[in-house]
Amino acid sequence: MKNQSGNPSVPTGRVLNIQRYCSHDGPGIRTTVFLKGCSLRCKWCGNPESIAPKPELSYDPKKCTGRKCGLCLKSPFPEGVFYFVEGDDEHVKVNWQLSRDIDEALTSLCPAGALEMFGKLMTVDDVLDEVEKDASFYRNTGGGMTISGGEVMLQPDFAAALLKGAHERGFNTAIETACNAPWANLEKVLPHVDTMLHDHKLTDPERHKKWVGVTNERILANFKKAYEMFPNTDFIARTPLIPGVNADEEHIRAVLAFIRPHKNVIDYELLPYHRFGLGKYEYLGKVYELDDYKTPSDDLVKRLQAIIDEAFGRK
Amino acid sequence: MATELGHAGSLRRIAVNVGAGYVPGINAVVMGAALAAGRMGWEVVGIRDGFEGLLHPERYPDGGLVTLNPQLIENLDPAASGILGQSARIDPFQVRTINKDNQVEEVDMSDDLLKKLKAEKIDGLISIVGGQGLSILYQLHRKGLNAVCIPRSIENDIAATMVSFGFNSALTVSIEMLDKARQAAQSARKIAVVEVLGEQAGWLALQAGIAVCADAVLIPEIPCDLKMVAARLKEKISSRRPYGLVVVAQGVKIINKSQKEESKSSLKPSLSPLATGEASEHVIQQSGQAAQTVAMELQLLIAEETYPLVIGPWVRGGTPTAVDRQLGIAYGVAAVKALRNGQYGTVVAFVPPEIKCVPLAEAINKVRTVPVESEFIQIARSLGICLGREV
Repeated sequence: MKNQSGNPSVPTGRVLNIQRYCSHDGPGIRTTVFLKGCSLRCKWCGNPESIAPKPELSYDPKKCTGRKCGLCLKSPFPEGVFYFVEGDDEHVKVNWQLSRDIDEALTSLCPAGALEMFGKLMTVDDVLDEVEKDASFYRNTGGGMTISGGEVMLQPDFAAALLKGAHERGFNTAIETACNAPWANLEKVLPHVDTMLHDHKLTDPERHKKWVGVTNERILANFKKAYEMFPNTDFIARTPLIPGVNADEEHIRAVLAFIRPHKNVIDYELLPYHRFGLGKYEYLGKVYELDDYKTPSDDLVKRLQAIIDEAFGRK
Repeated sequence: MATELGHAGSLRRIAVNVGAGYVPGINAVVMGAALAAGRMGWEVVGIRDGFEGLLHPERYPDGGLVTLNPQLIENLDPAASGILGQSARIDPFQVRTINKDNQVEEVDMSDDLLKKLKAEKIDGLISIVGGQGLSILYQLHRKGLNAVCIPRSIENDIAATMVSFGFNSALTVSIEMLDKARQAAQSARKIAVVEVLGEQAGWLALQAGIAVCADAVLIPEIPCDLKMVAARLKEKISSRRPYGLVVVAQGVKIINKSQKEESKSSLKPSLSPLATGEASEHVIQQSGQAAQTVAMELQLLIAEETYPLVIGPWVRGGTPTAVDRQLGIAYGVAAVKALRNGQYGTVVAFVPPEIKCVPLAEAINKVRTVPVESEFIQIARSLGICLGREV
């Protein structure tokens, strides 16, 4: 297997987080493995720490003990990355422009835990051993392991090895993907997937590019090919529902027209836009571009959900 | 101020560009630099849209560089919008691109940029930037770019200089708008809570608030107790003066806030690893959030009706003031002088009575905030303006 870490002896991947006791990313109780690195730039992204492929610095000012510590202003920390501003603010500031050389060895020196790295390299066995801890829940609930992102398809060899290993240990497998990757990547991963949750973000290619970063032609082609080439896989379509962007009947009906001819697309879920990820933009020194957008109303979600229910014959 | 430049011995070709964040009167800076350089026989080109014109010239039918020749400069309107445009991002270390696999990625194009500057025979760059831009240019300077920066800030928060380009125009518009807000509040018999720009530094709110004799001015440097503000408003509001005006900087910090915005999201928790909830309000700056929060909190404490108004981005457009036009031209001239003198890796700065060059290494990581003992704070107190805390 190709090794994405550059080390030929141990299969490793870039993992952001492993989250136990999840109940929304496939059947039963699940453990979700978040990979790092994404090929899209959705303006509403709630997981900005998953975008960059490499590990990156995170700084939580609320944990910083401030001037009485000041350790990060001294060697071995590079000069100019951390600083104080005159005045009442006791917290360290980060010059994000100069912070790119900060690594885990340095962040581990922060006694308050205000500095951390998002993402680390893990082996397949490391991940599966963590997933294994909840094996009894999977057996009792039909659950298993879900790989999310970032984008799963950017680490196809690692993801395939993880999913294959999960199957060998008897776990159900699922992935969450936007499928913006070459088909060759999907071909490696999909044979080991029981359920594929996938996003239909916008219908119009140009609007897709404006809000997500690229047009959607290849994404839709990959979806269609996946439905056809993997008839025994369950597919669940999803739409992150953002008022003013895609929370309209036209988009929902377009997605339904796309998926309904394929019987292995077993459901279509709406994910109402939320703003829970905003705090993480602060931790990364990034600017959230969708700051004036609101969460959809319950009425709107119900109305659009009714269209989906009708299409799936649930009414 | 900059002195007569005279003529340089060797012919040079220099470039001018503009960082993210528009302020009125950029053309004045361009004119100052181009005219001063032209007098020494230097050739001056402008880079369109930050570094875009150089990194992606194929996107520009007329070319990514604009030759700033005397004919063009003489016909340039210093009060008009910037001839060079600007980019939302100016960071060549993190250029968002779409690769051959149709995947979005951020690429370090700083080496490409330096090569392209060399290929264009550009051996000096004047960059009109804000605080973040100073750090970017500092990095480029460390990689060998002969750069001189011109400080541009609406907030006047660049510590190296007494006055950043753009501040005076923003202050003037803010004062005009506050005058109108007060008249409207007077007419409506309400308390107007008006937000002005100022995430880290409260100069704009404080100086504009003093100019219009606001009832209260709340700035990031002085965390405020709204009970104190409410008490002061109660003292000042009467049947003969049934209105109020509170000026709030965008980055205001409130002590003992009573309400916390609840999210009604039906988020599926597992979709958000390391979920942290909403950001602390002083970091993710939603335009209007400060005014709305202060207006709502005050409403709970006083009988009179409060309402939020936002000046915010209005100050980024319009005509530059006389001060900014002079300052812009002077900064442009001073930057050329710095290039001539080999003062690379610096930012020109108004340190009365002179314009000096401050090394970027000393200019970054500093914010020009309002000292609590500053003269402006004393003036505000003398006028009876409530600052939200005894200082």
